[in-house]
Amino acid sequence: MKAGAMRSCPREAAMIDLVFWAPVMAAGALTGASSGALGTFIVGMRIPFLGICVAHAALAGAVFGGLCGLEGQQLLLPGLAGAVLTALALGLVNPQRVRLDDNTVLSFLFSATMGLAFLGIGLYGILGRSDNDVRALLWGSLNFCRWTDVGLMTGTSLLLFAYMGLFFKELRAILFSRADAEAAGIRATAVWTGFLILTAGTLTVNFQAVGGLMIYSLISNPAAAAFQVTRGCRRVLVLSGVFGAASGLGGFLIAAATDLPSGAVIVLVSSALVGAAALFGRARRR
Amino acid sequence: MAAPVPSSDASAGRDAVIAVTDLSVEAGRRHILSIERLAVARGDLVSVMGPNGSGKTTLLRVCLGLQPATAGQVRVFGRRLKPSDGAGLAGLRRRIGYVPQLLPVRSELPMTVREVVAIGRTARAGLFHALSRDDWDAVDHWMARLGLAPLANRAFGEISGGEQRKAIIARAMAQEPELLLLDEPAANLDLGWRERMVETVETLYAETRVSVVLVCHELEVLPPSCRHVVLLDAGRVAATGSPEAVFTTDRIRRLFGASLRAVHEGGRHAVVPQGGGHD
Repeated sequence: MKAGAMRSCPREAAMIDLVFWAPVMAAGALTGASSGALGTFIVGMRIPFLGICVAHAALAGAVFGGLCGLEGQQLLLPGLAGAVLTALALGLVNPQRVRLDDNTVLSFLFSATMGLAFLGIGLYGILGRSDNDVRALLWGSLNFCRWTDVGLMTGTSLLLFAYMGLFFKELRAILFSRADAEAAGIRATAVWTGFLILTAGTLTVNFQAVGGLMIYSLISNPAAAAFQVTRGCRRVLVLSGVFGAASGLGGFLIAAATDLPSGAVIVLVSSALVGAAALFGRARRR
Repeated sequence: MAAPVPSSDASAGRDAVIAVTDLSVEAGRRHILSIERLAVARGDLVSVMGPNGSGKTTLLRVCLGLQPATAGQVRVFGRRLKPSDGAGLAGLRRRIGYVPQLLPVRSELPMTVREVVAIGRTARAGLFHALSRDDWDAVDHWMARLGLAPLANRAFGEISGGEQRKAIIARAMAQEPELLLLDEPAANLDLGWRERMVETVETLYAETRVSVVLVCHELEVLPPSCRHVVLLDAGRVAATGSPEAVFTTDRIRRLFGASLRAVHEGGRHAVVPQGGGHD
């Protein structure tokens, strides 16, 4: 479905279209804002791959949930379980103790969860069952978002923002150095694991709406853009959320005006923001 | 003030901020540390020195509870460290300012210098509490004391290595620690910055009388107030005492196997190639 369908309709039809597309726009903006804010910490700690890893863990959970007979929105629960388990594994692993970089641990988790997901998808064929529901999860379906989805996204986003507000100073310390934060008496493992669990929840809910690729770009690009134009954790966090929301909403509106696929345009808008921010930052530093 | 490692002196453990007994640290089959007794008295400035790989950093990490001991006992502020006691360890660490050897390079986010120093107040403020006006006053105070005020809003990654180390020391001091652990604070600094760092440590110690354990491997980094040195070699205490007593020319030659000799002058110390300098 192309978002631009509403462009060429008569006025009444356009109003109907607006009612139809309003939750889609809200979902785009919310996904962008929450993923962008998450990106401040995830990209700041140089683990942007976390987004796609958690998304595939959610997919693996949903695939096996589907094999157990769940369908539609019910798949969210096993998806959430898969994502949270992966987040727990990442949060509780002490990088210094296992002597592995976070990205190496992520690579292991990603390959394991992706292997599980595709094994499960393969089982659908062997068992002669339809895998449409889980395939839809893989790519997402922003244009089919309804107000119930938006409500769920709002709930998880509010939880995430509340957690960020409550533990902002601890997260800032962890962002600088998790090892230093532990050495300074900050309960870094507990706070970071809690953050990862909420990240898993937020990404799982966003994942079914926008798919793994868009999540990855909405985590990485707004934060990368914010890093170019401002400094200070709080400012970067706010700006990253704003850039994310602008990418989600702006990308959708451009797609609507040009009759192009909304997902691709959202990804490209967020990428363009990074380029523009890099140019702006470079000009400002001269 | 008690001497740092009089293994025969039973009083060394009294009022000690750090007391180590029969400590052994191993990694796999590799022996890293083996210390019979070591005590650092409250208000003392002790330097732990030794060649690379002698176990200096490991000793600091053990005292912070960041590295578990294979055997033996470590007491910090009179409390025995237990790796399983997460809350207890966090409480102890809040009283210790730690300046690590390697500066953090993980964060890609352009955090300001003031924010980095404020990390020192984070654990003190406690969970669920934002930093108060008093916390920020303490941050600004230590930034001013260390000459970092003009850099407050610069990104930490944009300032020089020496300034970054000062910021990390300011972070540790903002914690208002009872014990300051400095791990090679002058590493990779040029001569000018190294001297500024020595002055900084000397001034901090003279003005606050905080207990300090300074890990380094260069005699030039010892501040004049440091009258106790613990020399580690291959994970064992090779000698203890004043810098002049520990760093004799004979011992330096034995340790480093080179034609070097020690120079002690005006409370400062240096190692020069044989034939250079004057005693």
